[in-house]
Amino acid sequence: MKQVYRLFLNSYLLFWKDKVSVLLTFIVPLVLMTIFGSIFGGSDSGQYGIRLAVLNQSLSPVAKQIESSLDTMKSFRIIKSFKDDSGKVITFDTVSIQEYVRAGKASAALILPTDAYTDTSVGLYVKFYYDPKNDIEMQTIGGLVRQVVFSQFPSIIMQSGLRQTEKFLGMKSGHAFNHTMASLVNKYFKIDTNRILHPKLSDFHIAGSDSGKSNTNFFQNIVRIDDQQLVGKEVKNPWATRSVGGWAMTFLLFTLTASSSSLFEERRSGVLLRLLTSPVSRVHILWSKYLFNMSLGIIQLFFMFFAGWAMYQVDIFSNFFNLLLIIVAASTACTAFGMLLAAISQTRQQAQGLGTLFILSMSAIGGAWFPTTFMPATIQFLSKLTVVYWSMDGFLEVLWRGVGITSILPHLGILFGMGTIINFISVRRFKKGHIFD
Amino acid sequence: MAISMISMNNVSKKYDAVTALDALTLEVRQREFFGLLGPNGAGKTTLMNLLVGYLNPDSGTITIDGDNVTQDSLNIRKKIGFVPQSLALYDELTGQENLELFGKMFDIPRKILKEQIRDQLHAVELYDRRKDKTKTYSGGMKRRLNIIASLLHDPKVLLCDEPTVGVDPQSRNAIFDFLVSLNKQGKTIIYTTHYMEEAERLCTRIGIIDHGKIIALGAKDKLLEQLTYEETIAIVKNPSTEESKNLFKKFGVLVEEEDHFELKPAKGFLLSKFFTDIEKKGMQYSWVELHRPTLEALFLQLTGRRLRD
Repeated sequence: MKQVYRLFLNSYLLFWKDKVSVLLTFIVPLVLMTIFGSIFGGSDSGQYGIRLAVLNQSLSPVAKQIESSLDTMKSFRIIKSFKDDSGKVITFDTVSIQEYVRAGKASAALILPTDAYTDTSVGLYVKFYYDPKNDIEMQTIGGLVRQVVFSQFPSIIMQSGLRQTEKFLGMKSGHAFNHTMASLVNKYFKIDTNRILHPKLSDFHIAGSDSGKSNTNFFQNIVRIDDQQLVGKEVKNPWATRSVGGWAMTFLLFTLTASSSSLFEERRSGVLLRLLTSPVSRVHILWSKYLFNMSLGIIQLFFMFFAGWAMYQVDIFSNFFNLLLIIVAASTACTAFGMLLAAISQTRQQAQGLGTLFILSMSAIGGAWFPTTFMPATIQFLSKLTVVYWSMDGFLEVLWRGVGITSILPHLGILFGMGTIINFISVRRFKKGHIFD
Repeated sequence: MAISMISMNNVSKKYDAVTALDALTLEVRQREFFGLLGPNGAGKTTLMNLLVGYLNPDSGTITIDGDNVTQDSLNIRKKIGFVPQSLALYDELTGQENLELFGKMFDIPRKILKEQIRDQLHAVELYDRRKDKTKTYSGGMKRRLNIIASLLHDPKVLLCDEPTVGVDPQSRNAIFDFLVSLNKQGKTIIYTTHYMEEAERLCTRIGIIDHGKIIALGAKDKLLEQLTYEETIAIVKNPSTEESKNLFKKFGVLVEEEDHFELKPAKGFLLSKFFTDIEKKGMQYSWVELHRPTLEALFLQLTGRRLRD
């Protein structure tokens, strides 16, 4: 037993001596817990800043109330106008708002048309246009928009009842009937007559409440929401098309980190020394590693997309050239990331530990696993600094939206730019680092 | 007069506060089998790394075959074959694939490289195993492959950094024979080791290095002349000899080892008197053995330490 105890202590001693392992053992889970916590729990959790375009053409108080409710929701960033090419701010119309969604500048659009709820309307009518580029996000948007719209039900149904009575009995008789009924309700149930004849939204507690949800189906025939998918209708397998990029990026980062770390193994075995005693320079070695890793990344990404095509009918060929451009750009940036890990680490274990930390973090906040709009504003900002975000977004643009090269130029520029900057840092670090000592 | 192949002039190299080489000056001649003998940490590997251009000196100049190493290290490397201390091979590749990979780095024409690989594999008796992965090779086989991987471009100079570490005696002898044959073919060889037996057996000239400085340099016999005694006398440890330590000390410096005493005779030592005195004490001749002087003894005399300390 003593020996077990000694060996047990020895294991802790060795673990404690390896400071990197100690840090990674606790930092990796801590970082991921923070990210997951900010998404699924905590004070600042929940969706934030989902871009929703809104056009309210109706003059009715109900429509105004819906617009106001949407304005106050932190889940949404409500957009009501756009800038044209000359920079002029233009309020949406029914055409431009749809184009805005089609261009990927907003996830969905809600139009409250002129006839959304008129003086003679029996029910509410709205139009909802959406781009389900992210399934989870779209379900959330749809749910939240419906919640707001359906919160107007009680007001609408009461007014609708009164209007139907007046329509059926004639204005005068109907008016008298409504007042008589209101007086009776007032007499026996002590409810203010004015509140019955002129119901206000605040008199009802439907929005977001359990009772509201249970009554939803009943009210569905009175409130009409015209849903229309604007983007991706022709996509054969939306789920696979949306998710293949995220998975591909996560695996690519793992592959390239492991591959870049092979320098450490070559140093340990002495192969690096042997190569450097032949007419080969350090720059030759770094370039060869970089080109190998980048080409491997391109092959792996292509393989994964090809597998997506073969197994799940993901259409990779109708916009193949642009897909290839994003693959090359993503691979360039990810390879640079792998090389940076090798440059800043002192051992293979350290590189792989840091790699795990960064890959999981970048995949989580970059949108590979769940929509970035589910994250707090700070993390949404940080996600835009990751290779994963721009690669993922680029893949979506190409595969989901089927855009041309001009639309992915920002993605290409940012990914190649990231690759160049990270490479520059890597080379500087390699010069000062331990790999060639 | 022999032509110089390698010249190091006032070469210094520091790692932070540690001085690995301290204003070292050394000349190695063409076709020489030069041994660099020193304990671990003496500066042997640093010296090798400087010669191959892997490291740059802090000061001083190094020339190989007339070319300055620091100025044109990539081209000079074609003149050098370097056998590193570690087994610098890809385990997952076959012996032949390893040789092809390293050979291609020297721009050797395909046909010549193929012939070179075949000849070198035959020379170290690995031809039959050429298609096996090197991870299946024995330690000795890997060492032999490690050496010929440095010879494919037919270098003028072969730098061997302790190339027999961890090798069984039989394989070691085979490696020695191979290196000697290379030297006879005209290659200049620098061989670092901390085994004085290896240096004594192989090298025509030896430099003893310690703390980054050459502390002795010359042919083996010339070096041994620096010893203040010619032979040492080993005396088996037993109760009788333990009692006679004071007697031994009259004849020179007595060093107590684990299982024997080592007597370094003083000037004017007479072997006949030594044997007469021990006979009088009742000791047997078989307990005493005469040892010829060694480089190990010279190193001990120069530094007060053993080579393998």
